[in-house]
Amino acid sequence: MNTLTTPSISNWLNKVPEVTLSFWVIKIMSTTVGETGADFLAVNAGFGQGMTRTAMGALLAVALFMQLRTRRYTPWIYWLTVVLVSVVGTQITDLLTDGLGVSLYVSTSAFAVALAGIFAVWFWVERSLSIHEIFTRRRELFYWSAILCTFALGTAAGDLATEAIGLGFTWGAVSFGSLIAITYAAWRMGGNAVLTFWIGYILTRPFGAALGDMLTQAKTYGGLGMGAMWTSALFLTVIVMLVAVAQFSVGSRRNTQAAE
Amino acid sequence: MHHLHLLIRPVTALSAIALLALAAGCSKSTDTGTAGPASLATSQTTSAPQAKTASKLGDLSAFRTIAADVAAIVDKGDLPAARTRIKDLEVAWDSAEAGLKPRAADDWHMLDKAIDPALSALRTDAPNQTDCKKAMADLLITFDSLQAKL
Repeated sequence: MNTLTTPSISNWLNKVPEVTLSFWVIKIMSTTVGETGADFLAVNAGFGQGMTRTAMGALLAVALFMQLRTRRYTPWIYWLTVVLVSVVGTQITDLLTDGLGVSLYVSTSAFAVALAGIFAVWFWVERSLSIHEIFTRRRELFYWSAILCTFALGTAAGDLATEAIGLGFTWGAVSFGSLIAITYAAWRMGGNAVLTFWIGYILTRPFGAALGDMLTQAKTYGGLGMGAMWTSALFLTVIVMLVAVAQFSVGSRRNTQAAE
Repeated sequence: MHHLHLLIRPVTALSAIALLALAAGCSKSTDTGTAGPASLATSQTTSAPQAKTASKLGDLSAFRTIAADVAAIVDKGDLPAARTRIKDLEVAWDSAEAGLKPRAADDWHMLDKAIDPALSALRTDAPNQTDCKKAMADLLITFDSLQAKL
């Protein structure tokens, strides 16, 4: 059993990526791109919220199926799944808020409780919340449930901040960015790795949204006026580049290990 | 090619910081209102006749113009054309959500809820001119009430 935790073998078996700067950049950007994409389909392309939700849900099912089936971390499948989880998580919150009139205070609290519940069950069953040891189907399902919940929670919390205290995107980016920096500092100073990772993960949702808005919104509103299309194109380019690098380096590392 | 991944970290960190600084710098200079309708909303206080185009949400004139346009087309009876034109309102309104909503969330919701029935009325399978006229009239009233609130 101990051989499973040897670094080189755990790299081989872990279904999810290591947490690097590249990881965070792709994560933040894929949030924005996913949201813009879904919005484009619902409004600009005229499919409407209902059909877009169904389509995204179906795509997520396919991506998740592929991701769960892979035997090892495959960057492009993993990140495609993240983008779709991001979209669906956002859509769940939007459905509650806009469709069912649920208060953002209620949804934020409910998702926070749900996330705590997921971690409680995960820990009770697996005895470890480490994201460096997602070796089994069961652990991976816990992982993706948590990820979905963080996106729903991050959306609700971000929207709540906008509505309750009028937090615009510039100050939103600064605030959430600062909170992320504080969380990072807390980790470096010896804080619990699991806790700080997930707190950071939740915070990157409203941070990514604010960042995207800063680029897309018109100058009259204090944005850069790049518009959704160009911002998405830019972010998508960066994502594709970083995922390609990840795919390449994972491939070459495994070839080297296999050759040994 | 081997060492490409070593460059990624510093490059992404630097670009992220540069991007944020650039955006913050650009957006702050617009916020402090050297020009633009956004400053119009904050500088105008009590003079009611002048506050025609401003509201707590800022300058809504661009949106109101499209709405008035749609209303005029509905009055002429060309509902398909009105349906096409109101899409411009939907797209413009939707893309400005992040900029407008933080200014006055309640007002934003009020206007959003007034736009929805207008969209539905024009998008049903068999749109009815009376319903569309009413929806557009209500929408224009909402616009005006928001601007009068200032």
